Amino acid sequence: MISDFEFKKKMMDINIKDTLKYCYQCNRCTDECPVSKIEPQRYNPRKNILASFLGLKSQLFDVEDKFGIWGCTVCDTCDEVCPQKIELTEIFYVLKNMSIKKGEGPSYYTTQASSIYDFGKAIPSQPAIVRRREQLGLPKIEPTNVEEVQKILNETKLNKILNK
Amino acid sequence: MAKVDEYKMFQGCVIGNRIPFLEASARKVFDKLGIKTSEAPFGCCPDPVGFNSTDHLSWLTMAARNLTIAEEEDKNIISVCNGCFQTLKLANEELKHNDHKREKINKILKKINREFKGNIDVKHFVEVLYDIGEERIKEHVTTDLSNLKVACHTGCHYSRPSSIIQTDDPMKPLKLRYLVNAAGATPVDYSDEIICCGAGVEHAEEGPAMQILANKFKSASEAGAEAIIVNCPACFQQFDTNVRKVESFSGKKYSIPVLYITELLALAFGFNPVDLGVKFHRVRLKGLIEKYKLNQD
Repeated sequence: MISDFEFKKKMMDINIKDTLKYCYQCNRCTDECPVSKIEPQRYNPRKNILASFLGLKSQLFDVEDKFGIWGCTVCDTCDEVCPQKIELTEIFYVLKNMSIKKGEGPSYYTTQASSIYDFGKAIPSQPAIVRRREQLGLPKIEPTNVEEVQKILNETKLNKILNK
Repeated sequence: MAKVDEYKMFQGCVIGNRIPFLEASARKVFDKLGIKTSEAPFGCCPDPVGFNSTDHLSWLTMAARNLTIAEEEDKNIISVCNGCFQTLKLANEELKHNDHKREKINKILKKINREFKGNIDVKHFVEVLYDIGEERIKEHVTTDLSNLKVACHTGCHYSRPSSIIQTDDPMKPLKLRYLVNAAGATPVDYSDEIICCGAGVEHAEEGPAMQILANKFKSASEAGAEAIIVNCPACFQQFDTNVRKVESFSGKKYSIPVLYITELLALAFGFNPVDLGVKFHRVRLKGLIEKYKLNQD
């Protein structure tokens, strides 16, 4: 296995609080992970932390089964049980962001992001629900300024990720 | 710090634009208990599971924009959704305490003439109801639910990561149980109580999500729960909408009704189930309504 130093540097970046180096592979994260309990061979947070720390990018990305990254259900349980207070979920977000940039994420994620870019909402307003809100005596939802949303999401280059 | 006499309501996309009957119960309970809210033109929170996984910087920027909308009115946000709450609270704390990130985000927000100032707070509605206290809640209870046994499911993003979120015990949450008791019902202990509903992994692969959910239904029903009580619309949908999928996946029948905690409180307060829009539940509440005589005016 060859360590990718650019990748390692990224994973050790100060903005994810540089906590990765404190992992001593105790396996509490994997022991408590609800997905690892069901798919122990396919999803293992401890191994993802080790590969990230050692810079073993290919071990994470050059594999057929993307569930090794996307199996995380974002329940934040690993963050709670880690004796070293590593924010594992933050690290897994970085891996998922990289997977999306490589075009390897599940389609749901870019479809949702596209809706947020186009309408300012993950679930846009629909006439049937607007009527239902009225029937339930609920106030109208104030419309989002989509122009503002698109301006900031162009600044963050989401438009490039979504090919817009 | 922001004034606390009125909150900006953040109903989020799922409640606002898909299952608004949950908002109907929340507003009825808020009115009874004197919690004042007003509207604002918020965008998507955005979703901590989906959008943060897609692009962290875009997630943080969108959240910051929403926070500036509440800041303009100097009002705290009340969220009725775990996902929106976690996003807005995490972003708010991050930007209040991380100068580097705040500078970076404010540079982007400048393009739309906005600036994150950090002068408001973000609250989960369960925290707010808990702070009102049992005594004041019980004053409004008119229906006897003392025989109703329920399984509490707070969902993950209500209390984790606890180092920042600080709402409740992250591995043994107490406040939802407290509210169930205040409504007069009885929470049961069940082994999978703090386990995720599985929604977060569902869009990567359905099988593991359904297995997680099947285990939850099994452990809740074995503990004798007649209903599952939730405080998150994503969890609500998982239990209410996906129960049929779980049944065909596991070969077992689990028709346990799912109630939002504000639905339970509203029913305990004597509101008519019809006005709460309970007909929009996939798993029917008819049995519960008849057994506990919930539709008597």
